[in-house]
Amino acid sequence: MRMLGRTAQNLFWLSRYVERAENMARLLEVGYRMSLTSRREGGASEHLVSMLKAAEMDEAFAERHEVADVDTVAHFMMFDPANPSSVYSCLLAARTNARSVRTAITTDMWESMNGAWLEFSQIKPRDVRGAKLLGLLQWVRQRSHEFRGALLGTILRDDGFAFLQAGNFVERADNTARILDMKYYVLLPRSSLVGGEIDIQQWTLILRAASAHRSYGHVYHDRYKAHNIADFLILRTEMPRSLVYCAHFVRDNLNLLARLYGRREACHEAMDDLLKLVEGTNMDQIFAHGLHEFLNDFIDGNNRVTDTLSASYNFY
Amino acid sequence: MGENTPFDEMYNADGSVREPYRALSEWLGEQPEKGLALMQVDAEAIFRKLGITFAVYGSEEGTEKVIPFDVIPRIIAANEWRKLSRGIEQRVKALNAFLYDIYHRQEILKAGRIPEKLILNNAAFCPQMMGLEPARGVYAHIIGVDIVRVGPDEFYVLEDNLRTPSGVSYMLEDREAMMMLAPDLFQRSKVAPVETYPENLRRTLESVAPAGAGRNPVIAVLTPGIYNSAYFEHSFLADQMGAQLCEGQDLFVDGGKVYMRTTTGPERVDVIYRRIDDDYLDPLTFRPDSMLGVPGIFDAYRAGNVTLVNAPGTGIADDKAVYTYVPEIIEFYLGEKALLNNVPTYNCTDVDQRAWVLENIGDLVVKEVHGSGGYGMMVGPTSTKAQHEEFKKKIIARPDNYIVQPTLALSTCPTHINNDVAPRHVDLRPYVLVGDEVRITPGGLTRVALKKGSLVVNSSQGGGTKDTWVLED
Amino acid sequence: MRIAIDHRLSVTVPQGTVQAVFHLLLTPPSGPTQTVESWSVEGTGIGNAGRFTDGFGNAAHLVNQLRPEGEITIHVRGEVTTRDTHGVLGRPAGEPVPALYRRLTELTKAPEALYEPFRDSRDNRLSICHALMARVGDVLGLPEEPEAPKQMQADGGQAQVQEAGEVAERPAAADYAHLFIGAARALDIPARYVVGYRLVDGEDGLHAWAEAFDEGLGWIGFDPHMQICPTDRYVRLAIGLDAEAAPTLRTVPVAEVVQVAKVAAA
Repeated sequence: MRMLGRTAQNLFWLSRYVERAENMARLLEVGYRMSLTSRREGGASEHLVSMLKAAEMDEAFAERHEVADVDTVAHFMMFDPANPSSVYSCLLAARTNARSVRTAITTDMWESMNGAWLEFSQIKPRDVRGAKLLGLLQWVRQRSHEFRGALLGTILRDDGFAFLQAGNFVERADNTARILDMKYYVLLPRSSLVGGEIDIQQWTLILRAASAHRSYGHVYHDRYKAHNIADFLILRTEMPRSLVYCAHFVRDNLNLLARLYGRREACHEAMDDLLKLVEGTNMDQIFAHGLHEFLNDFIDGNNRVTDTLSASYNFY
Repeated sequence: MGENTPFDEMYNADGSVREPYRALSEWLGEQPEKGLALMQVDAEAIFRKLGITFAVYGSEEGTEKVIPFDVIPRIIAANEWRKLSRGIEQRVKALNAFLYDIYHRQEILKAGRIPEKLILNNAAFCPQMMGLEPARGVYAHIIGVDIVRVGPDEFYVLEDNLRTPSGVSYMLEDREAMMMLAPDLFQRSKVAPVETYPENLRRTLESVAPAGAGRNPVIAVLTPGIYNSAYFEHSFLADQMGAQLCEGQDLFVDGGKVYMRTTTGPERVDVIYRRIDDDYLDPLTFRPDSMLGVPGIFDAYRAGNVTLVNAPGTGIADDKAVYTYVPEIIEFYLGEKALLNNVPTYNCTDVDQRAWVLENIGDLVVKEVHGSGGYGMMVGPTSTKAQHEEFKKKIIARPDNYIVQPTLALSTCPTHINNDVAPRHVDLRPYVLVGDEVRITPGGLTRVALKKGSLVVNSSQGGGTKDTWVLED
Repeated sequence: MRIAIDHRLSVTVPQGTVQAVFHLLLTPPSGPTQTVESWSVEGTGIGNAGRFTDGFGNAAHLVNQLRPEGEITIHVRGEVTTRDTHGVLGRPAGEPVPALYRRLTELTKAPEALYEPFRDSRDNRLSICHALMARVGDVLGLPEEPEAPKQMQADGGQAQVQEAGEVAERPAAADYAHLFIGAARALDIPARYVVGYRLVDGEDGLHAWAEAFDEGLGWIGFDPHMQICPTDRYVRLAIGLDAEAAPTLRTVPVAEVVQVAKVAAA
C-alpha cells in the first residue's frame, strides 16, 4: 500500500517531537544543575536564560515571566501549553501525530507514545520540584529512548521508517547546532592556553547538553579543550549527536527513500549541499571560515532539507 | 411489554439457570473473591493502552474516556440467533429496496403506503441521489440494527442505523479482551467468532467497486480526523482491512475521478468507506462550509468513478418518522410479514394520539425525531414530574419533532457491579454488511446500563459494553 | 427558429487556491421544444472533465484545476433549433418522477396570501398555473416599467408603496420563478426551476423561469417575469428544485463569477 503524503509528514514530525522533548529535558537539566552550583551573583538566572536562548524560547519566556528562576523556567520548559516547544507541547504533538498515523506505526510504538503522554498528562506541575524535577527530566529521556527502542525493534524498514528516522536526526542536528551557536564564543581559539574556571563551566554545559561529557574523555583522553569540544560535536562520526553523524544518518534514510521509490528528488540535492559543509573539512578550516557563520549555514541547510523533503513527498 | 419484571437472560423465574448461561454460571461460581474485580482492572488497562477511547462531547478538548467494559459476557443461544438474524436480513433487504425505490420510481409513495410528504419534505431525503444506479443496487452497505429483548421469544427493533453506524470496533475489542481475560470460559463453550468482520467488510466493499476498478479495488476509509469521537474505530477498521485511512485533505478529484495524495504521487481510489456525514461529505454539493469533505467527490460518485459507502441519502430509511412504516415497507417489497417487531409508536401530530400521550407521559419514552446518542430523550418512569411537564410543553410546541413509544422492559444480564454480580438492562446492536451477499456477524455489540434500574444504555449517558456470545450448536 | 448562443463565464478564485473544483450545468438537452444542433464548452480542464447526469437529469461537468492563476474563462457556444409549443414540454425521458418537485426548499417559500385563493379552486391545473403566474407578476411588479412605483405584496397582501426617489432594485427573474414555484408546490402542484437563455434584443440572454406539471400535458413552462409561457425564443439549459440546485456554475472555493450570454437569431 502506498503511503499518504500526510502520513509521511506525521511520521517525520512524530519523531522530531519525541527528539525535541528529550532535548528540552536535557537542556533544562543542564540549566538546573548549573544554577545549583554557580556561586556568582545572578549566575543561576544567567545559566537558565542561556538555556532558554539555546532552545529559542527566551523571547516567549520574557513575554510571560519577569524573573528567570528555577521554578518559572522549569514550568515554562516543562509544562506550559503556550510554549510550543515545552515538553508538554512536544509530547502532545508527538502523540497527536502518532494518533493520526496509528495504523502506520507498530503497537509497541503506539503504546510507548500513548503511555508516555498519559503518564505525563497526569502529573501536577506543582508537585514537581527539586529532586522530583530531576527525576522527571530523566523520565522524559527514558521515554524517548523507549520509543526509539520500540521503533528500532519493531517497525518495517520501509518508507515509514525512513521518514521517522529523518525527522529524528534532522531535529537532533538542529539541536546540536543551536547549542553550539549559543556558546560559540567560548569555543573560539584564543591566545590563553588554559581555560579559566568560567570557560570550563561553559564547556561542561555544552557537553552535558549534548550528553557528551563522559564520552568526551573516551574519545580525546584529554582535559576539556575548546577545539576538541567543537570537533567532537561537529565532525566526529562516532559521536551520535554530532552534526556530521546526524547528517549522515539523514542522508542514509533519504537514500533509502530514493531506493524504495526508484528516484532521487530535490531533497537529495539539498542533502548533498548540507553534507558538503561537514565533509572533507576540519576544525581549523571551520574556525577560519567563522564558527558562527558555519553553524548558521548548517542550520539553514538543515532547514532546506526539511523543506525540500516536504515538497518532494507531498507533505502538506 | 411494559410489565414490571424485566426478562432476566440468565435466570428463570424459579431461580434456575437458563440453558445458554449454564457454563457461565458455573464459571462465575468458581471465581475467587475479588477475581472479577481484578479482571475489571486488567480490562481497563488493556483498553487504555490500546488507545480505545472515545472523545466526550462538550467536555474539555482532549478529554478521552474508555467506555466501561463489563467482564461478564452476554450469551445468546444458537436457535435464538437464527431467528434474530433471519429477521435482520429481511429488514436490511427491504430497507435497501425501499431506498432504491425512493430514489427512482417512488412506487411506494404512488401506492399511498407511506405519505409522500413524509419522504419528499424530509431533511434526510437527498434529491441529488435521484436516478443514480449504485453498484448491485445497494445503498446501505453497513447497518447496525438496535434490538431489545423483552421476553424469551420477544425481540423488538428500536431503530435502524443506515448512515454511519459506529461501535463495531468495540464488538471486536471486547472479544479480544474477553479472550485474554477468561480463556478458560471460552474453552467450555462453543462461541461463534466475530473476528471475521474486517475481512467480511473488505469483501463487501470490494464487491461494490465501480465497473472500472481493477481486480483489487483500492479502498479508503474517510475519517473526519483524530478529534472525531469514533476516530479510534476508523483507524482500527482501516488497519484491520489493510485499507488507507484518509482525511478529506488526502483525497482530491481529477478528471472526474478520486485520488489520494501519496508520497509518490496520486493513486486512484475505487471505494470509499466514509465516516463523514452526508452534509459534510462534499462542499461542492452539500454544505459549502464543510472543511472535512472532498470537493467534487459526489459528482465523481454520480459519474460512476467511485463508490461511496454508505451512499448519501440513506438516512431517509432510518428516520424516526419513517421507522413506523418499516413493517409496511417489508410487506410492500418482499411480500412477507415482518419477522422482527417494531415498537409501537405514537404520532403526536394526530390529535387523539397526542391527547393520550400527554395524559400518560409518565409511562412513555419520548424521543426527538433527529436526536441520537440518548440526547433529547426522556424515559417517563425514571424521570421527574418537572421533566414530564417540560416534555409535554415540547410536544405541544412541535408535535412533529417527537415520537413517543411505550417504555419497554429491556431484558437484564448479570453484570459485575462493585465486586458483586447484579442484573442490569441491556440492548443489542448486531452489525450487518450488504454487498454481493448479506453478512451478519454473530452477536454484535451489547450495551449495558450500569446504573441500577436505568434503561439508557448510551455510552454518553453512563452505559458500558459487554462481549456478546452466540453459541454454536 | 434557430438560435445562436455565445455564453462567457469568467471566474476569479481567491489567491493561493491550491485546487479549484467546478460543477457546470452548461449543456442544454434536446427535447420537444428544442434540438441542439451544435454545442461546445471550452476552458481549462474541460477536456479532462468528469461528465455525468445529475439527480435532475441535467448533463453536468466536473472540472478541476490545480493552482489556478488569475481569471478562468469558460466559453460556451452553440446553436439550437427551437419550436413554439405554447410552453408545453411534455414528459422527457430520463427525468426523475415529477413528485420530487413537490419538495419545499428554503428559496421557494411563498406567502400564503399568494396561493390561498386557489386552495379550493375547481379549475384545472393549467388555469390555476396561469392565474398564479399573473398573481406573481402583480406581486413583484412587471419588469417592463421599472420606473413606475410598484405594489409590493410579498409579505402577504399588504401593499407597500415605494417612497419617491428610492431606487427600486428590480427583482431578478429567479425571484419570480421561486415565488411561482413555491406557490404551486403549496397547492401540491409539482413545479421546478429552469435556467436557460432568452432571445431578446440588446440584453443579456441568461434567464430563469419555472415549469409546472400537469397530469395530462406533462411539464409546462411559465415565465412569471415576462408573464408568458416560453416560446421559440427560449432555450432550456438545466432544471432543479430551485436556483441553488441548478446554477450554471458552482465552485469550491467560493469564487467571483461574471457571466454574459449573447443570444441571437442564427
